[in-house]
Amino acid sequence: MLKILIPTLLLIPTSWLAKAKWLWPTTLLHSFIITLFSLAWLKNTSETNWSTLNPYMATDPLSSPLLTLTCWLLPLMILASQNHLAQDPLVRQRIYITLLVTLQLSLIMAFAATELTMFYVMFETTLIPTLILITRWGNQMERLNAGTYFLFYTLASSLPLLITLLALQNKTGTLSLLIIQLLGPIPISPYVNIIWWTTSLLAFLVKMPLYGVHLWLPKAHVEAPIAGSMILAAVLLKLGGYGMMRMMLILSPLAKELCYPFIILALWGVLMTSSICLRQTDLKSLIAYSSVSHMGLVAAAILIQTPWGLTGALILMIAHGLTSSALFCLANTNYERTHSRTMILTRGSQMILPLMATWWLITCLANLALPPLPNLMGELIIISALLGWSWWTIIFTGAGALITATYSLYMYLMTQRGPVPNHMISMNPSHSREHLLLTLHLLPLLLLVFKPTTIWGSAY
Amino acid sequence: MNPYLLIVLLTSLGLGTALTLSSTHWLLAWLGLEVGTLAILPLMAQPHHPRATEAATKYFIVQATAAATLLFAAINNAWLQGHWDIQHMSHPLFTSMITLALLLKLGLAPMHTWMPEVIQGVSLNTGLIVSTWQKIAPFILLLQIKQIHPPLLTIIGLASILIGGWGGLNQTQLRKILAYSSIAHLGWMVLILQHSTALATFALLIYIFMTSATFITLKKCKATTINMLTTTWTKAPTITLVAPLMLLSLGGLPPLSGFAPKWFILQELTQQNFIPHASIAALAALLSLYYYLRLSYSITLSLSPNNLPECLQWRVNYPISTPLSSALPAALALTLFLLPLTPSALTLII
Amino acid sequence: MTPIQMTFSTMFLLGLMGLTFHRTHLLSALLCLESMMLSLFLATSLWALQLSTINIATVPMLLLAFSACEASSGLALLVATARTHGSDHMQNLNLLQC
Repeated sequence: MLKILIPTLLLIPTSWLAKAKWLWPTTLLHSFIITLFSLAWLKNTSETNWSTLNPYMATDPLSSPLLTLTCWLLPLMILASQNHLAQDPLVRQRIYITLLVTLQLSLIMAFAATELTMFYVMFETTLIPTLILITRWGNQMERLNAGTYFLFYTLASSLPLLITLLALQNKTGTLSLLIIQLLGPIPISPYVNIIWWTTSLLAFLVKMPLYGVHLWLPKAHVEAPIAGSMILAAVLLKLGGYGMMRMMLILSPLAKELCYPFIILALWGVLMTSSICLRQTDLKSLIAYSSVSHMGLVAAAILIQTPWGLTGALILMIAHGLTSSALFCLANTNYERTHSRTMILTRGSQMILPLMATWWLITCLANLALPPLPNLMGELIIISALLGWSWWTIIFTGAGALITATYSLYMYLMTQRGPVPNHMISMNPSHSREHLLLTLHLLPLLLLVFKPTTIWGSAY
Repeated sequence: MNPYLLIVLLTSLGLGTALTLSSTHWLLAWLGLEVGTLAILPLMAQPHHPRATEAATKYFIVQATAAATLLFAAINNAWLQGHWDIQHMSHPLFTSMITLALLLKLGLAPMHTWMPEVIQGVSLNTGLIVSTWQKIAPFILLLQIKQIHPPLLTIIGLASILIGGWGGLNQTQLRKILAYSSIAHLGWMVLILQHSTALATFALLIYIFMTSATFITLKKCKATTINMLTTTWTKAPTITLVAPLMLLSLGGLPPLSGFAPKWFILQELTQQNFIPHASIAALAALLSLYYYLRLSYSITLSLSPNNLPECLQWRVNYPISTPLSSALPAALALTLFLLPLTPSALTLII
Repeated sequence: MTPIQMTFSTMFLLGLMGLTFHRTHLLSALLCLESMMLSLFLATSLWALQLSTINIATVPMLLLAFSACEASSGLALLVATARTHGSDHMQNLNLLQC
């Protein structure tokens, strides 16, 4: 674990000592090397699922894909932010990279923690760098509002979780993930059980976010700079799903019926948020709502607690992490050229940036879960798991898939086709940096088609 | 102020607190409290403007009343039980009276109204003394007496956390905000006081570090309102960088030191099966977090539209380095990085 | 509760009530504080008398000395307030209100 953590920590001196000219290439290369090493986590040879154990951290098939995704995202964020930070003073660029590295460190420690309290502390630690990223480097005035929403939604839901964890610690004497899943059901009264269940999952359901408590997410996404949007969509939301899966293992024998309203709400949320996407005018907001809708599927899949559900949820989380991050990068390429997120103002880019249109097409197809991409695999597994639970869900999931396809098409048509507005004519051509960025998003997605077992988790 | 006079006053402040800390007799404890109050009055009233005088007057009346009530309860206890021992006080009425008097001295929720006004009226240095050093003596007395009515402290603690949060929401004056933050923090300490004195002391210690760092920072930026904070970046860039972290540490976000006392207090409360109290306290802390967040927005996280002369603050208002400001790095380090070290810090205290 | 205790407690509580409920003049507040301190002086000296020991005979003196210090700084503040606020009305002390 230190093999990754120490080089990541040393990225901070790198970002402060590198020469101005080589700042971005050096940090990029450095973080890529870290990513390369992190790929070793994906190969799990242990029989007990846990590997690379040390007293505080370990990886298992559930956390290692998310860890690798986290490591993969850092170079991509560095690559994506170069252009819009080019105007900033050098010190501010260095601070920005330091911030990204801090976020990376806390995310790695959150995903790898074997102790639930440490997971909680690191879960909260990610808030500070993300908050600073949103409110310091966002563009509009509304970013402050978005930052407040982000912080307070997360904290208000996760402070009860802290108290629940402390109470759990008193009941069982340990919060270690290695031990706690071997304990039997914990004897508590039914009322306490209900409160306990709700508080432990609410924090993660807000982070996911569940429909109804999702309002912070579109705001945060819309206002954050590109790196903030990327890390939010790709990793921070998955922190919620990951936490839920971990807590579910402990809570699983306790409450079956309690999940039902939440599953219904999540599925209803899939329909509602994807319908909201259909009438969005704001590109980033559309992508944010599409994240909410995909995460609704993931939440429902985790809540039914079957092995298939968990597998599908993990696959969809990884696939969606790469896809939505790629979509935000594409939205950012438009934003950097037109300085507007409104789709009606950025029509017809296919004429101007033809290669970009290809990327848009592939990413939109990935977003609507085209075979053989892992997105489809995730969605199919989730849909069949939900179908096994109750066949009524096919109405929601089917309609959800349909609307997802519709709004992906809408997004593609709106941005790429149609007449070119006059203000778009003198646009910068696309950089090879942007092509590299999108290649690096889509390449792992395509490679995962060939060996999906790496992201199947421990259930299979 | 004349340096000799300043030395006399500061040593008297130290003497007063030391006297209270080392006494087992109520009279000496009272003497110590009185010495502390009398020594800080000239410091408060020293700038000759109406607000300083008013703050000193208010402080004097409140502290004198609280001290007199404390002594009154102690004498009555002596009449009934024949001793003046601090630790063996057991009469329920007079113990509660002494507790209330000490809480008035500390400025906790129903008796808190003097606190924001007094801090607002005095200079930042004196405000630092009032909100840290002057809290130690009453707090240690509170630790020593046996608590006979547990719900009293719990209610007052929870009320202070809530009022400390609510009161600060609407303020634009930094010193008032800090006073409310002090009320909220003291609420946490009083909440845990009857369950674990070591944790209460630990919380006081961390509170003193964080508050000192904040006051010294404000002193260095010469800021007393939120608007004045917006030009900090022109004067002290490094402070600008660290200030939001410091403020969020005051708000108690992990992984900063401010989270440590909250974490342990919540743990102790859940261990004693006071889960509702723990939940209320934890959620009420979010109210305080809101104004810390607002302060960090205006210091660092946004650039407010200022005209050019405002942005040239460093020419006219260059941050002076006072003896106090040399303590800033240490205070900041303690404010930010103590959380990983807390287990060993706790063993030092317990 | 002995009659003596009753007496000084009543004195003290009357002084405290005067301080809390009668808030026109700063001077009256100081007088109430002084009456509280005097009742405490009475209480300690009577306690010394009651126990008929000279061990604690210094207590009332110490107390008196300190209450004199307190009263004098109270008067100093009264003068300062009168100079800055124009009168000693408690209503005038409103510069720092929220």
